Amino acid sequence: MITTHTVDVLLDGTVLMLNRAVGVLRRRNVTVEQLTVRPCGPPEGGGGVSRMTFVLHTDAATADRVVQQFHKIVGVRAVEITTVHDPNTEEQP
Amino acid sequence: MSETLSGAHILCRTLADAGVDVIFGYPGGAIMPFYHALPEYPRLRHILVRHEQAAAHAADGYARASGRVGVCVATSGPGATNLVTGLATAHMDSSPVVAITGQVSRPMIGRDAFQETDIIGITLPITKQNYLVQDAADLADVVTEAIAVAQHGRPGPVLIDVPKDVQNQKVEYTPAAVVGAQHAAPLPKAGDDAVQRAADLIAAAQRPLLMVGHGVILANAYAEVRALAEKTGMPVITTLLGISAFPEGHPQHLGMPGMHGEVHVNRAIQRADLIVGIGLRFDDRVTGNLAAFAPRAQVVHIDLDRSEIGRNVPTAVGIVGDARAVTRRLVAAIQARSCDAWRAEIEGSRRPQDASFRGGMSPEAILAAIHDATGGECTIVTDVGQHQMWVAKLFPYRRPNTHITSGGLGTMGFAVPAAMGVHLARPGEPVWAISGDGGFQMNMAEMATMVQEGLPVKLAVFNNGYLGMVRQWQQFFHGKRYSSTPIWSPDYVKLAEAYGIPGYRVRHASELADAVGQANAALGPTLVEFVIEREANVFPMIPPGGSLSEPIEAAV
Repeated sequence: MITTHTVDVLLDGTVLMLNRAVGVLRRRNVTVEQLTVRPCGPPEGGGGVSRMTFVLHTDAATADRVVQQFHKIVGVRAVEITTVHDPNTEEQP
Repeated sequence: MSETLSGAHILCRTLADAGVDVIFGYPGGAIMPFYHALPEYPRLRHILVRHEQAAAHAADGYARASGRVGVCVATSGPGATNLVTGLATAHMDSSPVVAITGQVSRPMIGRDAFQETDIIGITLPITKQNYLVQDAADLADVVTEAIAVAQHGRPGPVLIDVPKDVQNQKVEYTPAAVVGAQHAAPLPKAGDDAVQRAADLIAAAQRPLLMVGHGVILANAYAEVRALAEKTGMPVITTLLGISAFPEGHPQHLGMPGMHGEVHVNRAIQRADLIVGIGLRFDDRVTGNLAAFAPRAQVVHIDLDRSEIGRNVPTAVGIVGDARAVTRRLVAAIQARSCDAWRAEIEGSRRPQDASFRGGMSPEAILAAIHDATGGECTIVTDVGQHQMWVAKLFPYRRPNTHITSGGLGTMGFAVPAAMGVHLARPGEPVWAISGDGGFQMNMAEMATMVQEGLPVKLAVFNNGYLGMVRQWQQFFHGKRYSSTPIWSPDYVKLAEAYGIPGYRVRHASELADAVGQANAALGPTLVEFVIEREANVFPMIPPGGSLSEPIEAAV
């Protein structure tokens, strides 16, 4: 079933690293609906870390596969799917 | 005591300190400071190739045969881009290659300088990691980390791009720090629960199969896999890159699966109720149509790379870990059993192999001659195409890791240069590079490298005057329109003579033993051309996208 997955990646904050990370999405040929990158200090202080957040419109297995590919990249510190939005279920305020 | 060294010297010293003893490369403008420093490090033997692609394949061959990193060096621009096919080959087949490229000086980067190319950008998807070194003070750490990354976990190629001014930059030399925890971390250890569930599935299965791949060779897990096979009686299938991970003559060995797998092997997969896959990735050449692959089987998948588990086939139990460690625990967890009835069932579908080629110049006869001349004590490096499948199916490998080929990428032109690397890793035994007439002509210039550097590789060319595998596909799937597949060859005996090496042409089976024997016994490189039947085919064959249950077994 196609759903919307928000994925959070914590990675070394270099342009080459971002290029590498985006390359993973391009190679898997998945549809990326949003992509944001912002600097983010690591919990213990210091700098040079970025948080990349993107939204995938795909099935759960493919989203999981993308996460696995991110885990393999040298310089990726953490990856997680933060939210899954099922388009058939609507949240009411 | 501190020392001031140039980036080029730091590069050389760090490589030598890491135990590197051979480098395949080709000099050029942007890598000249490195080549200027190199003679001061006699430990680093440099092999001057004739094309950078050969340097990458040779480093790959060295890495696969030795289990250590293979190193190649090229200049910027065209030198670097010529490495690309070799790096992609190493990436697909998990081979620890370290490539060092020169780059234009830092102030020139991004200006379309002479011989500038963005090799970091180009190689992003075909390397495990790559680095653009911005400061010579980082070089020792980068090289040390690159070697660690290339070898750690699932191996793969790493590229280090070093601008010319960084090579010339003088800095205070500090030996590399200890490699960061990320690249020296212990391999993942599977939980006992998963191992026990796998053991339970094996105990309960009626028709279990053991499928082993390259991961078994990389993890040196031969004894453990054999113990698992013998304790359970499971028949064993070896993938193309898993060949020689299990002895060919063993009564439980079935052969290679997939597109050109024997009928009894693929039939066993289709009938199996359990497949235990160790160190393989169930790629499309193995599975055929995934929807029809092993329809009755549950799958236990053991692999070091978590992302491979469940990637192509659904798994009942996935175990992430080193093939050797996991298999050893599986052997301990499992009850001894036998699979006699199942093995007898498989044997019932084994077909006699067709050896009825014209003039007796069958692949069987040629490979038997090579086996006889070497006593089987040799490493075979194959190229890509029909000869590759014949060797994979017919050569009786008994020793581990003695079959080296380009599997995942299917790179024609691989065998000749890769064999140079294999020889340097295993100087004590013959290395036969077997190619077709197409692949051989792609990198045959490396004969000059072999002569200049004294690399006694034995070159075999299966000459059928066609790009045989493509012609075979044209015969079956393109109405026999042999478009651009007939290929002319030079006179290989005269070619060998021009390079100053012995050359032999074999047209009849009666000449095989003499020619192969002489070629194998000669001290230096030799070339043997085997003139084979023009339109011989590799059977059986699963049509692309077809199911393993529907092989083509003869020409129509």
